[in-house]
Amino acid sequence: MKRRRFCETLAGTGFLLGTGAGATLNRVWAFQNTANLSHVEARYYKKHPDREIECLLCPRICKLGDKERGYCGVRQNDGGTYYTLVYGKACSANIDPIEKKPFFHFLPGTDAFSIATAGCNVNCKFCQNWQISQVRAEQVPHFDLPPVEVAAAAERTGCRSVAYTYTEPTVFFEYMYDSAVEARRKGLKNCVVTAGHIQPEPLQDLLKVVDAVKIDLKAFRQDFYKEYVRGELQPVLESIRMVSRSKVWLEIVYLVIPTLNDAEQDIRSMCRWMAKEIGRDIPLHFTRFQPMYLVKNLPPTPISTLESLRDIAIQEEMHYVYVGNVPGHSAENTYCPRCRSTVIERFGMQVKAVAMNKGACGSCQYPIPGIWA
Amino acid sequence: MNRSKVVVIKGKGVIDPAGDMARTKIVQMLSLGFRNLTGAREAGEGLASLFARGERIGIKINTIGGRKISTRPELSLSLAGLLIKNGQPDKNIVIWDRTNRELRDAGYSLSDSPTALKVFATDTSGAGYETEVFSHRNIGSLFSTIQSNFVTASISLAILKDHGLAGVTAGMKNYFGAIHNPNKYHDSHCDPFIAELFESGPIKDKHRLSILDALVVQYHRGPSFHTQWAERSGTLIFSLDPVAADAVGWRLIEELRSKKGLPSLKEEDREPVYLSTAEKLGLGRVGADSIEVIEDEI
Repeated sequence: MKRRRFCETLAGTGFLLGTGAGATLNRVWAFQNTANLSHVEARYYKKHPDREIECLLCPRICKLGDKERGYCGVRQNDGGTYYTLVYGKACSANIDPIEKKPFFHFLPGTDAFSIATAGCNVNCKFCQNWQISQVRAEQVPHFDLPPVEVAAAAERTGCRSVAYTYTEPTVFFEYMYDSAVEARRKGLKNCVVTAGHIQPEPLQDLLKVVDAVKIDLKAFRQDFYKEYVRGELQPVLESIRMVSRSKVWLEIVYLVIPTLNDAEQDIRSMCRWMAKEIGRDIPLHFTRFQPMYLVKNLPPTPISTLESLRDIAIQEEMHYVYVGNVPGHSAENTYCPRCRSTVIERFGMQVKAVAMNKGACGSCQYPIPGIWA
Repeated sequence: MNRSKVVVIKGKGVIDPAGDMARTKIVQMLSLGFRNLTGAREAGEGLASLFARGERIGIKINTIGGRKISTRPELSLSLAGLLIKNGQPDKNIVIWDRTNRELRDAGYSLSDSPTALKVFATDTSGAGYETEVFSHRNIGSLFSTIQSNFVTASISLAILKDHGLAGVTAGMKNYFGAIHNPNKYHDSHCDPFIAELFESGPIKDKHRLSILDALVVQYHRGPSFHTQWAERSGTLIFSLDPVAADAVGWRLIEELRSKKGLPSLKEEDREPVYLSTAEKLGLGRVGADSIEVIEDEI
């Protein structure tokens, strides 16, 4: 029903293409006409002499000559001016349960109108969406979906929020920001699913127009970030700190990859860092890895590993620790830290029951942090 | 160990005052280059020693810089003409790069005729990229099907340029245009990525020859075109050793920089360190003592 509702909505607005919007994960390696890319001036860059520019959006600080493209593959220097090639050019648009992101303390049981463009500013060897994230703008089918249409489609389909997700929304910052402004005008909320590899200034600006951020913390070691992410850990930790100190809701996801980032000591260190820097109330999700992209030689994460890491986090007194990508696992539920009652019961991406009263435990009235309405 | 041979041909008057290329002169330069490189008396004989009759030959050019600083059509078409004249079927030769727009912007007329010389890019309908990621050391990329499927022998006919990140872009880095995600390989002066990509089977197993288009050399502020730092050098560089060809191209850039009073690439902390990595991987020779340079003029 949801897919039908979605398709009908898009068809009504005239931007459902023949290829089938929303089906991009089963993509075809067809090229799009590069003329269909956007040519909107990017934000957060510095002009230098001789038509060179310096991108200030993410910690990579790409320095680019004329005609060169950033690491992300979707921002280009043309004649000394920096452009985003993906403004309003969605490669994916779907209605998803908010639990898919996952957000467990943000509008549970609601749908999020979820969009992405091509591109990413890191290159995780285990990327689960590499067919759309690790490609250049013209290498993935995309369609016109300007910010005003994003908000309109979200409203029309009964979504409570717009999610910027699937790839890395940092690289389509301008599109995300303007869509968030439009969504707010319609009374919708905005949530961002990101690796957190972004500079402080754009992040600070983004936090003014969004309501929730989920950061994928890939590991708690710089050498892992260098080897498997092609990024830096410290800027991500700084982003986590910054979001936690804002009014925007934050959740952390940690994809557990067997032998690569599942050392118990690392998890303990991470939890202690979280407790000290962002508090024990931030939800922490340990999610299950599936072999993908350039890491196909490892098995899916054993459920026992996820459980044991969750135990460590609970020992370190994190209040809300979840296990993800294991439908039916009891650690999908939210439990009251005081009386241990189940306050939200889930199965996979579905909310089965909610036992809360005005943001508090239905049994003992202990306040459960989050955005609930 | 024998030294790697690199042939440098200078063409007097190959560029006229208006900047146009003399195609006849380019053909003469190519012929002389092949003779000197192979030791053959005739260019055709030299070519025959490099390419078996009937092979599908890819001429990978670099057209990202537009008309002013891309592999020149006069050069690549002359090379294709020489191959055809010496017995290669024209339908088996493709001059190619990443996108048809870039080819057109660089002055090429496109052709994907099954019976004639082909000039087209990876984004041509029916070409495209592989769907399976090719993984080798630090490389994880989709190859252009032109490189992986169509061609059986490859010539890197690259434009020689200064490069802000890599130091120098020439024959080896030219193959960045054979994959879908070159933007992922510009960290650390493109090292070890250029060398490791070249070491990948679809390139290393097919690469036969490097020819550097140094007719006009962007020796500073590359890879984009800047008139004030573009020298009409009128030179072509040939080698069977891809590392040695690029090393000699690097030296030419350093000579021009020195002549113009610019700091060396080392002083600017952007030496093409990938060449040393390539040598360590056994792809060729980089040191001056390991390279025999044969210079000639026409």
